[in-house]
Amino acid sequence: MGAWRGLILVVAVLALAPLGLPPYMMTLLTEALILGLFAMSLDLMVGYTRLVSFGHAAAYGFGAYCSGWLLINTDLSLPSAVFVAAIASGVLAIGVAWVCTRSTGVSFSMLTLAFAQLLYAITFRWTSVTGGSDGLAGIPRRPGPFGLTALTSKTGFYFFVLGLLVAAFLLCRQLVNSPFGAVLRGIRENEAKTLALGYNTRAYKIAVVALSYALGGLAGALYAPFAGFANSELLFWLLSGQVLIMVIVGGAGTLIGPILGAAFFMFAQHQLSSYTESWAIYFGMLFIFFVLFVPRGIWGSVAARLRRPAADGR
Amino acid sequence: MALLECEGLTRRFGGLVAVSSVTMQVATGEVRAVIGPNGAGKSTLFNLINGVLPPSAGLVRFDGEQLTGLTPAQVCQRGVSRTFQLTALFPEMTVRENASLAAQARDAQRWLPFGGGAVFHRARAKADAALERLGLSHVADRPAGLLSHGDQRLLEVAMALAQEPRLLLLDEPTQGLSVEETQQAVETLKTLLAGGELAVVLVEHDMEVVFRLAHKITVLHRGAVIADGTPEEVKADPGVQAAYLGDFADAAD
Repeated sequence: MGAWRGLILVVAVLALAPLGLPPYMMTLLTEALILGLFAMSLDLMVGYTRLVSFGHAAAYGFGAYCSGWLLINTDLSLPSAVFVAAIASGVLAIGVAWVCTRSTGVSFSMLTLAFAQLLYAITFRWTSVTGGSDGLAGIPRRPGPFGLTALTSKTGFYFFVLGLLVAAFLLCRQLVNSPFGAVLRGIRENEAKTLALGYNTRAYKIAVVALSYALGGLAGALYAPFAGFANSELLFWLLSGQVLIMVIVGGAGTLIGPILGAAFFMFAQHQLSSYTESWAIYFGMLFIFFVLFVPRGIWGSVAARLRRPAADGR
Repeated sequence: MALLECEGLTRRFGGLVAVSSVTMQVATGEVRAVIGPNGAGKSTLFNLINGVLPPSAGLVRFDGEQLTGLTPAQVCQRGVSRTFQLTALFPEMTVRENASLAAQARDAQRWLPFGGGAVFHRARAKADAALERLGLSHVADRPAGLLSHGDQRLLEVAMALAQEPRLLLLDEPTQGLSVEETQQAVETLKTLLAGGELAVVLVEHDMEVVFRLAHKITVLHRGAVIADGTPEEVKADPGVQAAYLGDFADAAD
């Protein structure tokens, strides 16, 4: 019950944000929510299944290029293009996962990275579709379906992102608490044993990678019409590393943590970069601090502290 | 009719014949021990039965159905559960969660990606029953990684049992236990196996454990069967005596 109340409270505050925040803060907040969705999608793999992807930008960039291309070249409305792009990312992931899950551990991570770099390279070659090094620019937020224009304004788009993030969060939450989620935890702790117990672990891994990419693709598909452009940086390994940092700093295996981690990353980058150009150095130090002293991440530590008094009270 | 039948089961690793034309049967209610020195092919035999390794020749039949060619997961779904020589648990989950995840593996809706209250309820009931039978109920809420080695070995068995198998493969269940823990484990296993609804194949180094639990014994030497019979017959077999049992047969008499 407490969890539901907390969720409703947070969503209510976020829903009221456009009333009180200046436009440039709304832009930051929208981007933070998009990155939060991206980081949460990676948490399904990293936090719940211990499938450490070094190439999650593949999902984000692919989703961004898909929705960007659809919005520029077809008559699809904003929600339809975003939805199609997310599904396309999930379908792509089945192929990626089919190959990557042939190996485990570091080799798995390297294969995910290789796939992302492959897509990165493709953007420079297939210029007729991707726009080459310029990328896709002038991506519109086309109204519809049924003449719906509410989502195309700055505030409307913010609510669109917020709604999708909440929906994705609820979807992930019930997944990790389901029998399927229990099997993922088994794979995380001891894959060989899970296999020996009679679970086809590879099928479970492919399914979770597909969902993770679909949601990561959804985030990217939102980013393209948010920023109005999509370029190859959205597929670059730097972003794959950054999203991994968001997950770890926020708290892997908590869903909420990575969303906070993304917001924290955005905030820290924004603040630090206003003081110094070499903000990445300071953020790197912050990351090392977290890994050494807050290994469970922001939300992991908070949740552990919240749980303890409750246990004592019983 | 025998529940498990191995016919001419052979496995080669390059030039080495790890398991050589092994034929054996195990009926429901029977406990068959497989003994032999290190490297005799006991663990390879298990891996051939549950599909971890494909045989070079021969076949395995379970309840008349051929298992050869199935994956370990598929073999498990048919009612064959195994424990491992080296303890393999989910250390951060509680004891009950360990057993429950094992039980869930044989639920038709084990993959359900939403809800699943009924699945968990069924799995938990089976898990609790298995923990009760192995005397682990009092530690059910403790993380499995914090159990004593002896209780971890028993949890391995409880997890296999929670799957309600028809054939149980036990790979050295008392490995690494103290004398006292071994005594307790043997008593627990003896009570457990007395029910007669299970077929059991037991690989064990401790001859005392073997003679107290097994109805039939298969003796392996360099992958091949050199003796097969009741504990008395095997004990009396001069070849086996000379090769493996050594002074144990004297001590037991």
